[in-house]
Amino acid sequence: MSADTTPTPVRSSWRMPNWLESILGQLIALGIAIIGGAILIILVGEDPILVFTTLLRGAFGNSERIAGSLLQATPIIIAGVAACIALRGGLFNIGVEGQLYMGGFAAAFVGFQFALPTGLHMLVALAAAVVAGGLWILIPAFFRARFGTNEVVSTILSNYVAILLTSYFTIDVFKRPGGWSETDPVATTAYLPQLFEFSRLNFGLFIGLALAIGFHLFLTRTSRGYDMNTMGANMKFAEYGGIAVKRNILVILLCSGAVGGLAGGVETLGVHHRFMEGFAPGFGFDGVIAALLANGSPIGVIFTALFFGALRAGSLLMEVETNASREVITVFQAIIILCVSAQILLRRRRDSSQGERRWKF
Amino acid sequence: MAFAVEMIGVSKSFGPVAANRDVSFGVRHGEIHALVGENGAGKTTLMNILFGLMQPDSGEIRIDGKPVVMESPRTSIGLGLGMVHQHFKLVPSLTVAENMFLGMEITKAGLVDRKAQSEKARALSEEFGLRIDPDRRIHELSVGAEQRVEILKVLARGANVVILDEPTAVLTPQESRDLFRIIRRFADTGMTVIFISHHLDEVLEVSDTVTVLRDGAVVGTRPTKELDEDSLVNMMVGRQVNFDRRERKKMSGNTVLELRDVFARDDRGLPALRGIDLEVRAGEIVGIVGVDGNGQTELSEVVSGLRAPSHGEIFLDGKAVEGSDPRHMRAAGLAHVPADRLVRGVNPGADIASNILMGRQHVAPWAKKGLIRWGKVRELARELMQRFDIRAKDEHVAVKTLSGGNMQKVVVAREFSQHMPLLLIDQPTRGVDIGAMEGIHDEIIRRRDAGAAILLISVQIDEILALADRVLVMFNGGISGEVDPANTTEEEIGYLMAGGSRSKEAAA
Repeated sequence: MSADTTPTPVRSSWRMPNWLESILGQLIALGIAIIGGAILIILVGEDPILVFTTLLRGAFGNSERIAGSLLQATPIIIAGVAACIALRGGLFNIGVEGQLYMGGFAAAFVGFQFALPTGLHMLVALAAAVVAGGLWILIPAFFRARFGTNEVVSTILSNYVAILLTSYFTIDVFKRPGGWSETDPVATTAYLPQLFEFSRLNFGLFIGLALAIGFHLFLTRTSRGYDMNTMGANMKFAEYGGIAVKRNILVILLCSGAVGGLAGGVETLGVHHRFMEGFAPGFGFDGVIAALLANGSPIGVIFTALFFGALRAGSLLMEVETNASREVITVFQAIIILCVSAQILLRRRRDSSQGERRWKF
Repeated sequence: MAFAVEMIGVSKSFGPVAANRDVSFGVRHGEIHALVGENGAGKTTLMNILFGLMQPDSGEIRIDGKPVVMESPRTSIGLGLGMVHQHFKLVPSLTVAENMFLGMEITKAGLVDRKAQSEKARALSEEFGLRIDPDRRIHELSVGAEQRVEILKVLARGANVVILDEPTAVLTPQESRDLFRIIRRFADTGMTVIFISHHLDEVLEVSDTVTVLRDGAVVGTRPTKELDEDSLVNMMVGRQVNFDRRERKKMSGNTVLELRDVFARDDRGLPALRGIDLEVRAGEIVGIVGVDGNGQTELSEVVSGLRAPSHGEIFLDGKAVEGSDPRHMRAAGLAHVPADRLVRGVNPGADIASNILMGRQHVAPWAKKGLIRWGKVRELARELMQRFDIRAKDEHVAVKTLSGGNMQKVVVAREFSQHMPLLLIDQPTRGVDIGAMEGIHDEIIRRRDAGAAILLISVQIDEILALADRVLVMFNGGISGEVDPANTTEEEIGYLMAGGSRSKEAAA
């Protein structure tokens, strides 16, 4: 083509690499949250420095507490990967909480209802959790793929059905005689192995890490991962390029739901060893937020989930030792979410205007 | 008398690359000033600086002789500047009138007065002959109509200096002539027009003064009447460009694409294609021309599988195509250069290699056992960058940072290198400079000579006449006639585009 020496169109002065920029952004969000939290703590008449140091001590004070943080982070990592799967395919699964409940119940059911050899029993119970999570998103997924129904709304609604349905199971149908609202205990043959004597931290953590890393490799290395990533980046381009968009939408949402179910199964078999009403408050929602915070990156989810896990673990001690209640942490999280959403908005605006500017000179 | 707009010694660099180097030029009141140059010559950067979208590294801007600092578009709009961008900034779900008055709504008792907005929009539209229904929603409009809305938007903001960034890239010749009349009317009423283009004929036709940019620097500013096409090309590229028509081929290969009595509806559910019959044989280029909005878009969507025909049959390589899905069409042998590369043609955030991979991600040797072999993909990307002259540092560069011409070359390289029997090319050189245009044209001819069946749709009649072996003219969803590009005139085509049919007597 033309042989003149027009400069290459690579340009723009030095810009922060994207990953550095987004980490810096999260740190700023964290800073604002700390300031906001401090103001709140002062308003309730506590010393913010004391509260925050207690929080830190509660999360990382000794090996037992660190294990506690990791324990809290485990279901959030898995639920976060579930949310990432949908996000990276250009979809939303806000129903992770519900899938987690269904998966948790299904795993418990297999755990107390059947007798199987050690290990195999656990695998069958986890498989049941996966299937239950997948089934629970089947209706939203089918309607999204077939008719384009907004999956945000349908997955949110499916949460309530799951939570109330499992409540009904535990209060009435499968209630342990004489007990609280919980099922019979799971047979020890179905337990997820614990890692330490002093903590309930269990093998589920490795399942979570393996899922996150595996999904990252899937996205970057495989043909189907390319299809999925492209759908998430530009659905119209994916459609034009001949990717089986409708079929993939169904598969992606089913996988997302299945992993959501697995999060519940891991929590049941690793921690509680039975299904209790309201056994995992908010882990699914935290997972969704962790995924959004990580911008859909499964590797990033490991870190955002660890952060949320540490907050949860630390807040226990904070509540015992200070007058600040656990709700401070909720407010703290909410401020971070606001900051991150604002960043996403700003970044979009800049990208679109720079797209315009960089279009050509 | 002071210039209406003057830029003095403006320089702007992006890292090591100088986009503008010591650019100085002035625009007088009431003149139509064309800014010409190849893609990458620095035109758009210069106008973005003038409009306050970017800050220059050095240099000065004067409006009516007074030095100003364009902090943001708000400053420049306040000073009476208005810019119509190459890429539209409209809200698709809002109506024309709502878009025009976005951010400056006409209100009555604190509420948006839709009726007044709509009336004012209609009045402006009629005053300048823009033919826009203010109550239509943007997503229902054709690209050409969207651009007229952008112009209306600028008018509604009371601009007296209007900057148009390649306004005719998306217009038909008839629409372009309408636009020129509008621009002329602007100038006659004392408004100043700055007009970016690389279509020499229209620059010569419409402008009073021409400033030529090359490699970010001004080559010269001349009165248009002192220039002709040759001297302008020389200034722009520093060499002669061959506009001669190419050799036609009369190949009678087997039929690759056949449409039989195809009907389709547009997004509004109105009939857009009414009984199309057409055939494209191996080794021929069939060109489609028509005034924007006469069914070309829908034809291209039906052939690419993006739109389901409401009636009729499509055969690819003799086999009926089932359903409508780009996946099936591609599996059956289609490669497709879409009209709007930013929306469909690329994944802007991904790098060149990853964009080149599309369509091959399940095919050896680029993928094996479900794994992508990125080494091979990058090798292919580098090879195609070389062959199609895609100018970027390397294959890791994000496509969204490329210029329009280079982005188009990425699409063309990806689609042409798949060696499919059928090539659907919609607007092959929209917004592409002359050098790149020649290269893309050469590749189209090469694919034809290699035996591909090519369906070529373009709003540029010149382009169709230069490339096509047969030309079909579309009007109102049907084919109003076929002409031989070697022996036709723009007048004959214009007549068919306006709906005149050779069988007019029969119809009468």
